Amino acid sequence: MRFNTYEFMIACRFLMSGRSQTILIILGIAVGVAVQVFLISLMDGLQRNLIQRTIGSSPHITIAPPLSSPQPQGIGSGTIDDCQMPLKIEEGEILSWQRYNEYLEGTPGITVAAPMVNGNGYIEKGRSSFPVIIKGVTLPEADVIYKFKGNLVNGDIRPGGNNVLIGTASSEKSGLQVGDTFYLRNQKGTGDHFMIQGIFDLGSSAANNMVVMSLERAQAFLDVVGISAIEIQVQDVFAADNLAERLRGAFSRIKVESWQERNKELLSGLRSQDTSSAMIQFFVLLSITLGIASVLAIIAIQKSRQLGILKAMGTNDKGAARIFIIQGFSMGFAGALVGILLGLGLAELFMIGTKSSGGPTYELKITLTNILLPALLATAAASVAALVPARRAAGLNPMEVIRNE
Amino acid sequence: MNEIVLLDKINKFYGDEVVVQVLFDIDLAIKGGQFTAFIGPSGSGKSTLLNIVGLLETPTSGAVFLDGQDISGMSKDELASYRNEKIGFIFQFHYLLPEFTALENILIPYWIGKGKPPEKVVSRAMYLMERIGIEMCSNKYPHQLSGGQQQRVAIARSLINRPKLLLADEPTGNLDSKTSNMVMELLREIVRVDKMNLVMVTHDRDIAAGVDRVIEIVDGRINNDSAVE
Ligand SMILES: Nc1ncnc2c1ncn2[C@@H]1O[C@H](COP(=O)(O)OP(=O)(O)OP(=O)(O)O)[C@@H](O)[C@H]1O
Ligand SMILES: [Mg+2]
Repeated sequence: MRFNTYEFMIACRFLMSGRSQTILIILGIAVGVAVQVFLISLMDGLQRNLIQRTIGSSPHITIAPPLSSPQPQGIGSGTIDDCQMPLKIEEGEILSWQRYNEYLEGTPGITVAAPMVNGNGYIEKGRSSFPVIIKGVTLPEADVIYKFKGNLVNGDIRPGGNNVLIGTASSEKSGLQVGDTFYLRNQKGTGDHFMIQGIFDLGSSAANNMVVMSLERAQAFLDVVGISAIEIQVQDVFAADNLAERLRGAFSRIKVESWQERNKELLSGLRSQDTSSAMIQFFVLLSITLGIASVLAIIAIQKSRQLGILKAMGTNDKGAARIFIIQGFSMGFAGALVGILLGLGLAELFMIGTKSSGGPTYELKITLTNILLPALLATAAASVAALVPARRAAGLNPMEVIRNE
Repeated sequence: MNEIVLLDKINKFYGDEVVVQVLFDIDLAIKGGQFTAFIGPSGSGKSTLLNIVGLLETPTSGAVFLDGQDISGMSKDELASYRNEKIGFIFQFHYLLPEFTALENILIPYWIGKGKPPEKVVSRAMYLMERIGIEMCSNKYPHQLSGGQQQRVAIARSLINRPKLLLADEPTGNLDSKTSNMVMELLREIVRVDKMNLVMVTHDRDIAAGVDRVIEIVDGRINNDSAVE
């Protein structure tokens, strides 16, 4: 399509001659775009926040012996022999875990593979006892996943020997503070004294109920030889399920579970949220399209006299059509620009609002895509809407105008 | 071939259910450099004939040659650009675009054909306005002008692309007699000075008095032709 400059000039004058209806429709588009920008940013922010909270301080992929799970699902069929040696799994332990760890740390896409020993225990204090989760870790690796350092409320972070970290939940219910020594009992009934070196807050009550010690100490304390799980952190969070699938293809005797599989309800909830916001977007676009189509149809009738004259003077059918496409595009574009500003303003107001009412639980995610996508869609919708009056303009016979005076 | 317009057996029918024949086997040759008038009673087919010459209507049968060129094979787009380049139109009603100033209206035919007018063309538009006596109207919008001024802007607009052929359908039909005389004088001058080929429709014999050739059309046929007497 070749555009002629006079088509722009005429489109522009037509729009300006019906200034109030032009302004109204631009505002209409702007409101539509603003709502979309706001909605998309809100949803995006909410979803990212939920996902962040879900996986922020927990592993992306967990590798565990199949016995630790009641249903043996998630066990791979295995194409390569696990770490080239027979795997010994006894009562929920991975015995040859170093081999797995080496393999995993050499796998591209995995940032950290941290061996863990998990167990249950009780903090004994006087006559009361408080159930806790005992976790043995190798610190540099585990810290990548759980961010103990970043989430430390009190104290220091180097557990070793009988020095441990505990979560705020176990600290609060037992009343223990940094520097306190307490008696920790395992499920077999034996126990030992430990000293609290630091207290962390990981944001979830389950995680804050942990007592964290070194891997070796936990093995000795819980009387195990192997480990309970290898927890993995990956580079691309959203590719964790694919990576898990690949690991399942490599291992045959082990259970591999990604965070997506662990959080099926959350993800399907997010997906239905996506669907409903897509529906809202669709209807907003539909109303933009209908609005523009009706306004331009009116303009096409109002201006048929002018179009007839232009055609008598040599404007061809395509040129007449383009005059309307340009009008639709311009209104869409102007509406999109105003809409972006409005949407950003709305987002700003929302953030100020949530902040003043007790701090925002999550932030809007304002990205270029979240802004440009609705703007582009609205502009495209406006141009498409202009096709109807454009066809009318193309089909107009100048004689109709010149004869019917 | 020095005929600017040559019509060969033009027939025109209107209507789908009730078919009406408006023009009957019109043969006509118009030489260059002349002021020709079609006269005749209302409904006789003058406008239809003029619009066929102006490529705004297609004859049901027959051939139209303009300046020696057979236009019957032209596409719709080619007809549009032929009208733009070679034909100037003046109608009974001025048909200026209300959204544009007088000067802009005059420039629109150039703009349609060749894009933004260069300084030279703008100067020509100014010159035409001056010559026609409407230079003070250049930045006014049509609704700010009198009927005579509007029609003169339309005349300037019809001339901007230096057309071969100027077609006027009752150009004075909407004007009082004083203004009407002034416009006729202007058109005669354009034919004389610019060697323009002008075909005008009127139903007023007095208006047609000062032209080179008068062709009378009655009931879709040429009834009388001053060149053939
Ligand atoms: N689009 C059309 N459909 C049907 N009939 C038409 C159409 N256009 C014109 N006519 C008829 O053709 C005949 C000739 O019309 P035309 O406009 O050429 O007459 P005219 O000589 O210019 O008349 P006037 O002096 O009133 O302008 C008229 O009877 C008119 O009603
Ligand atoms: Mg007529």
